[in-house]
Amino acid sequence: MRDVVVIGGGVVGCAVAWRLSSTAARVTLIEAAHDLCEGASKGNTGIATSGGDCHPGTLELELVRRSSPGWEALCARLDTPFHRIGTLAVALTEEDEHRLPELLRDAEQTGAAAEIVTGDQARALEPLISEEARAALHFPDDGIIDSIRLTIGYAELAARNGVEVLRGAPVHSIEREGDRIVAVTAGDRRIATRSVVNAAGVEADTISRLAGGEPFRTWPRQGQYWLLDRELGGRFRKVVGGVPTPVTRGIYCVPTTNRSLLLGPTADDREDPDDRAVSRDVLEHVLEAARRLVPAIRREHAIKTFAANRPASDTTYRLEADGWRPNLIHAAGIRSTGVSGSPAIAEQVHELLAEAGAPVLDEHPRALAALEPLPRLLHHPRPEELFAADRRYGQVVCACEQVTAAEIAGAFAMALPPRSVDGLRKRTRATGGRCQGAVCLAGVSFLCSLHTATAPWLLAQSEPTATLGVGPADA
Amino acid sequence: MPDTVVVVGAGLTGLACAASLPGRIRPVVVDRIPVPGGVHGWDTDETRSAEAAARSRGAILHLGETATRWDGEELLVMGQDGVRRIPARALVVAAGSRPLGRAELGLAGPRPAGILAATVACHLSETGLLAGRRPAVVGGGDWAARAVAELLHAGAEHIQVVTPDGVLRRFPESPALTVRTATPVAVEGGPRVSALRLQGGERVECDALVLAHGLVPLRNVDGAVWEGARTVYAQPADDPATVSAARQAGAAAAAEVEQMLDAA
Repeated sequence: MRDVVVIGGGVVGCAVAWRLSSTAARVTLIEAAHDLCEGASKGNTGIATSGGDCHPGTLELELVRRSSPGWEALCARLDTPFHRIGTLAVALTEEDEHRLPELLRDAEQTGAAAEIVTGDQARALEPLISEEARAALHFPDDGIIDSIRLTIGYAELAARNGVEVLRGAPVHSIEREGDRIVAVTAGDRRIATRSVVNAAGVEADTISRLAGGEPFRTWPRQGQYWLLDRELGGRFRKVVGGVPTPVTRGIYCVPTTNRSLLLGPTADDREDPDDRAVSRDVLEHVLEAARRLVPAIRREHAIKTFAANRPASDTTYRLEADGWRPNLIHAAGIRSTGVSGSPAIAEQVHELLAEAGAPVLDEHPRALAALEPLPRLLHHPRPEELFAADRRYGQVVCACEQVTAAEIAGAFAMALPPRSVDGLRKRTRATGGRCQGAVCLAGVSFLCSLHTATAPWLLAQSEPTATLGVGPADA
Repeated sequence: MPDTVVVVGAGLTGLACAASLPGRIRPVVVDRIPVPGGVHGWDTDETRSAEAAARSRGAILHLGETATRWDGEELLVMGQDGVRRIPARALVVAAGSRPLGRAELGLAGPRPAGILAATVACHLSETGLLAGRRPAVVGGGDWAARAVAELLHAGAEHIQVVTPDGVLRRFPESPALTVRTATPVAVEGGPRVSALRLQGGERVECDALVLAHGLVPLRNVDGAVWEGARTVYAQPADDPATVSAARQAGAAAAAEVEQMLDAA
């Protein structure tokens, strides 16, 4: 019997599992995909907003504001890169410029730090922005975060503290007695439980329906992105965006914590959550929009294009006990601030569970507060120390991202190790660099084979059926 | 103590560069592969004589070590024996080339498994993996021909080659091979690739897709990816790759280094 089953291994579900892992509750986290962090949590801009672009008076803003000051401390505990570099919303036209005072008034109501700067001041803050920039709205407390490392970090710490984590376990059915949920069947397991948290992202409506909960609707909103080389991204000092309109927040140029540069996202509602196709026209539009902000951006800098789906919904921030199923707590409709609000969302879910009678109030005396950091060679100031500690740091496997055999071994030694080449990339960045694996995928695969005792051709690139080969070669 | 110039890449280009540098310079050659020769292979007369020429010029070779960062004055190299910091007056990037990746080809569509760079497909095939029974190969040059040969050898039943720029070199004669000139625009499938879509809408069904078109210079050393300080690039884009083009590119890079040092 479990006290809580958390459905959904994205940033929200993993944060909830992490929060509960320091309590006495017996918790199981389940994820339909083969690995954690396979939805919106891996495909997003990686901006941890300080809330200046959220709507005043909303729960979303409240939770983002509550999360924002704690990022440095939390990320240190979760071995997750975070840098509070700030955002510039750049006005390129007179019309944009006239909208800034109104946007500043809105931003001031949120409590987030914000200021209007002149074009010259904006260029002093970020020399890469266009000469055309007339003025900008500056949000100095916005940060950039590795949302994949954050999500996996939450789950890893949760697992080390005893949370059971089931991957590749889609929910088939949810059993009830009277109005209460008594068990969840996921993958090949029936899990009896006292309560359930619905953090299923795009699929949250399906989970509520299976539980006989209140009806609501969630659907995928697709964003398309470019990933650009870190020789450009490393020069960025600020997140650069346009002036948001009532219709869209527009395209951002976001330096990532590993110094590459993301351009995006677009926003396009879809039906199929597995539809992650990119289109040339959309990507051209993104590139043009980004180049208007930062003319130094060139097509040759591109490493990768991709699409990702974030959950859209008819109710945002549905963080509440279900009206019909009192032991079902929804953490749904978290549209695009799941990463930015995750610590406070987890805290809120914890309170809701306590109100619903789940045994989550006693803190676990021996719970780990932090993960042991796994040092990375890339940008490390003293590689000699890494080598002295572990000779495998001398063996660079992925040359672009400078991922060594030590880091790959570290990923496989995790409580939640990778189960695919993609899973290794999410944990180490191996194959994720400028050559996209053209140099290293073979070597990376061999190491995956060794660590998992799997024949190379059977090695999964992503889901278990998506194997690297179709069979052994003819002898 | 003579000035050091580091050459990244012990292929024929890098070795020729090392051999062509003037006597007042000490060449140091670094390659992540434990043998010299690059795409031309280690077990050839050309590679043996290029290595001998470089060594007789006083070149020191660090093979099986990876150059990671260059700041204009020092190259950071990681290897099984530890960290090497090589102070140098200039860096020559002779790291070879790779075929275009998916984004560089502008291929739209989802991101299924089974899409491999030709470099990877060749390497995996050599080590006993069948990438696809009915693979499609994009490209018409060296990498495409190599990939076709390796895939056939590994047991592929039928290979469809789609080349955007025509056929640049001879492919193996085989009834299991069809070659056509067309521009690929998108991939289909999931979780494994199922088809390549061509301009005009035609679909080429496949169970693996090997990307072998074009040549992009491989640039893996931070600080020397585009316009590095005191950096010279020697990455010939000849397809097919020839020994003479490699030698010329190496010699030209050596001359450029000399000019750069004279000007400094």
